[in-house]
This record gives sequence, C-alpha cells and structure tokens, in this order.
Amino acid sequence: MTHLELSHIRKAFGPAVVVEDFNLAVTQGEFISFLGPSGCGKTTTLRMIAGFELPTAGTITIDSTDLTNTPPNKRNVGMVFQSYALFPNMTVAHNVGYGLKITSKSKTEMMQRVHEMLALIQMEEFAQRYPFQLSGGQQQRVALARALAIRPKLLLLDEPLSALDAKIRLELRHEIRRIQRQLGLTTIYVTHDQEEALSLSDRIVVMSKGKIEQVGTPTEIYNAPATEFVARFVGHINLLPVTVLNPANGVVSLGRQTLRAGRFGQLNGRPVQLAVRPEEINLGAKPDANTLNGEVESVTYLGSIVRIGLRIEHHPLSLDVFNEHTLKLPRISETLAIHFPVDACWLMEKSD
Amino acid sequence: MKAQPINWWAIFWIVLAALYFFLPMYGTLDFSLRMERNTISLKAYEIVFADPRFWQGFRYSTLMALITIIVSIILFVPTVYWMYLKVPQARPIMEIITILPFVIPTIVYVFGLIRTFSRPPFQLTLHALTTDMLIVAGYVVISMPFMFRAIDVGMRALDVRTLTEAAQSLGSNWFQVLVYVIVPNLRVAILSGALISFATVMGELILASFLVRPALAPYMALLGLTKAYEPAALAIISYALTWVSLGLLQLVSRGGTTRQLTGR
Repeated sequence: MTHLELSHIRKAFGPAVVVEDFNLAVTQGEFISFLGPSGCGKTTTLRMIAGFELPTAGTITIDSTDLTNTPPNKRNVGMVFQSYALFPNMTVAHNVGYGLKITSKSKTEMMQRVHEMLALIQMEEFAQRYPFQLSGGQQQRVALARALAIRPKLLLLDEPLSALDAKIRLELRHEIRRIQRQLGLTTIYVTHDQEEALSLSDRIVVMSKGKIEQVGTPTEIYNAPATEFVARFVGHINLLPVTVLNPANGVVSLGRQTLRAGRFGQLNGRPVQLAVRPEEINLGAKPDANTLNGEVESVTYLGSIVRIGLRIEHHPLSLDVFNEHTLKLPRISETLAIHFPVDACWLMEKSD
Repeated sequence: MKAQPINWWAIFWIVLAALYFFLPMYGTLDFSLRMERNTISLKAYEIVFADPRFWQGFRYSTLMALITIIVSIILFVPTVYWMYLKVPQARPIMEIITILPFVIPTIVYVFGLIRTFSRPPFQLTLHALTTDMLIVAGYVVISMPFMFRAIDVGMRALDVRTLTEAAQSLGSNWFQVLVYVIVPNLRVAILSGALISFATVMGELILASFLVRPALAPYMALLGLTKAYEPAALAIISYALTWVSLGLLQLVSRGGTTRQLTGR
C-alpha cells in the first residue's frame, strides 16, 4: 500500500528550477535513499516532504491525506539533520522528550517514552548529559531518538552521517537500519554517498539537476543503470566508445578489436558505448569471453584490491583485481590481455 | 623550557592606562570623603542617601530601566530572530538603523520627540503616565544599539534555522520555538544586553530633563550645580552601579557561553 506519494512535484526559486516533475510512491516500511551530487535537488525534495519548503506545483500525500500545504509542525514527520540540531539548553532526556512536551503528553508517559527511546539507541546512562558533553556520533543518536519519540509517520534523514568520521559513520549506518527495521518505519534518507545508499536502501532514487534519473533497488541501480549519469555516479564504470557491427546480436568493434555486449536494447543509430564495471574484468585471455589487449598505464594499490589502468585503442579502461598473495602485478607499459564475460557488459547510448 | 622575557613596554602602557583611568576616580573618591574638615568621613554619602529626591530619582530610573528592558526584549528578540530566519539580506539595513542613536545627538532626538508628541493629536506630555510612556519609548531607542548587538551576537552563535526546523518537525508552533528553544539559548545575550541598557538608562540625562521627569541623572546634574561634595559621592555611587552591572554581566556570561558555542 502506498504510504507516501509525491506526484509531479516542482520547485522553483525565482527563475531557478531546483526540482522538476518528481514522482514517487513509497510503501509502508520502505527505506528510500535520495542519491545525487550536491545541488541535484535531493535535500529540497526532502524539505518539501518535511514542510520546510512548499512545492511550486504538485502534491504530497501521506496515507492518502494531502499534506502539500500543511505546516511542518502539523505533519508528524520526524527529521534528523546533518548538524544534529540538538537543543543546547536541554539535557539528552529533555531533548528526546521535547516533542512529547509540546503535544502535552503526561509526564509519566513522557518519561516512559524517553526511557524507551534511550534504550533503543543504547544511551540510557547519558540521559542527564548536555549535548556539548557528547561526541558527534552520540549527538546524532540522540537526534534520532528525539525524532522517533514522537512516533512519526515518516522519518526523514538529511545526510545524517556526513559530519562524522568514517568508523562512527559505519556503526551508525547499521544502527539506523536496525532501528528502522525494528520499528517498520517508512524512511527517506538523503545522501551523496553511494556506498551508504547502496548498503542501506530498499530502493534508491538517483537524482541529477532536479530530475529523477532512475528509481530502483541497489542491485538494479548498480547492475543496470538506466542512464550514463547513473552509471558514472554509482560505482566505477568503464565506458568505451564502440561502433555497432551487428545490431541484432550486439556485436561491436573497438578500433580493430571485436566485442559482444550481453544487453543492448534498441539501437537507433546514435553513438553508443560499451559499459563494463572494473571488477568484472579479469587478467589474461579467455575464449567465449570478450578479450582485449592493451598497454598498462597505472597500477594503484588500494589495500584489498589493486586497480590497474590500461589504454586500449587510445581509450582508458580500468580493472580491479583482488590483492591475493599470489598476485603478480603487471609492469607499466607492459602489453596485457584482459577478458570479461559477455553478459557482464552492455551497450549504452552516449548522453549529450 | 625557556622563560618568556618580560615585555617592559607592555607593562609600561598598562600602568599608564591604569593611571589615566583610576587617578581621576581616586581623586573623586578622595574628595567625596573629605566633606568634614581634616577627617575622612562618609558624610557626603549620608547626605545623599538621606535626600528623598535621590531615592525618588533612583526608584524612578530603576523602574524606567526595567520597563525599557522588557519592552526591548519583546521588541528585539522576535525581530532579530525573524531577520535571521527569513530576511538575512535585511541585515545591513538593520545595522544602519540600530546605529542611528549613536549618530543623531540625543538633544536633537528629544526635540523631535517633543515637537511630534506634545502636540495634538498625541499630546502625550500632558500627563505623567503618558510622558513616562514617551520616555520609555525614547530609552528603548537609545539602548537599541546595545540590545540589538547583544542579541545579534547571541543569535549568530546558534544555528537558528536548523534549531527552528528541528523544533517545528517535533510539533512546535512559532511561539513555542521562540519560548522553548530560541530564548533559553539566548539567555546570556539577553542578559548582557539588558545590563548595558540598564546602565545606559540609569545615567541618561537629556531625555529625562527635557521631558521633566524625576530621574536620577537630572538630580545629579542639579546637585552638581549647587553642591561640592555630594556630586562627587553620587558619581562614585553611579560608578558602583555600573560596576555591579558589569560584574553581574561577567558572572552570567561565564556560565553559558561555552555551552552555547559548542552545543550546536
């Protein structure tokens, strides 16, 4: 059942259009990420759901109730901010209980809920501390508890982990997902970090320049990006400009070398490129696979993997190999054969 | 570790500045204690404290100062808050407006007030109560640069927009945001603005004397014309008032600023 629905949302600030024709239906309990570079309109869309911005056109409904013009304090939508936004004058317990105090819940109910929320984020012993006595990660957990305490219909998170260091970020990411699952809460998560989006979400909305590029599960987004933008933005990708030799079976040529694409759709004469992820490519030649020869340009050590940069027919291509102890690294300028399975690559139209 | 060499020039300038500042004060204090020949006494102070006009002036000015502070807070906290939230581009205009009381001489301002409000249709100077309303309005304007700046600085240390949005998403309306979130976090700023306004109003002469109200400063001026030792004693008393205000200011700002600045 559709829980949150955004239809034909448009937002313009004067002549600048920030969000254009945004349509999305979210089911109860779903975890949705808005992913995109800064300025793509993802935060503005979230702020419209929260009620901090009003859409120029379009409607927002929660449980079939039109909330497009409802003020933020009447929406019952929990929000977590990048800068935590805890109230500096209040203790952790008062911060968490704030929303209940406003809705004039009884003191016992408030205390009980605060206790429950602090248990949920495993911070019961911090109830009497002030925000300035907590680390960034702890502050953000309190902010999460505060947003959840009002039992919101919807939880919105605006880049909640961006201000934290890598280790805490990872910990808190799992924590957010755990709590979200436990409460079965519909959640919208804004991020520019693809790893966060891929690891957390049920579905991802990839945005660019105010428009939706693709909506899909993490697997769909990564394995079958709909546009060149999505392919480039999510993960690393090799895009080789190729010439179609046979539109019926996806045979293409790259310079003098011939390749076959696993997926190719309707080819309508526009310039196309062959897309393949670096981790799909292996060293050495192999019959039945696409095999290419190229010159080694760079070898970059990344810990668990090694990224090898090649030049094939004047085009760059990179591949990732696992850093196993038996691995013999190629030398720069060496000519190397590589291969990748036919069904691991696809043809994509070149965007303008 | 090498010891820091003593900077003699710095010490020289500090001593010089201290002398410049404290010598006249010491002179006044010394003079105020010499009302009785060949002995140190508090006679001048006794006379001042025994004078009902002093107490009347003191009470009147204190009351006016408190009303001024309340009016200023009610006027400026929401205004500055709104400016931060909705019209940050209006800031330069606000800066200029709030600095006007420094630029326009009080005497010019008072004549303006009298010319406008003592005539029909207002005729505010006909009754004591309406004159007091006029004087409070005047004091609010005179203390505006201090009040505005204090609140402005406090507001700048807060992430006003995000705090407001956080409170709104938790169900607060504008009034609740202001009362529960913004004002408590501006406590220090509001108090410092209030104390400076208090000191300003307590020492304000021109407005009170032209509107003929029994404030403290006109009494001091009157005393200065006719007496020798008592004005010196009064000067020390008003110094003490200012210093108590400043001391209180130090005391309140120590408790809160660190939390305010780091708690965002």
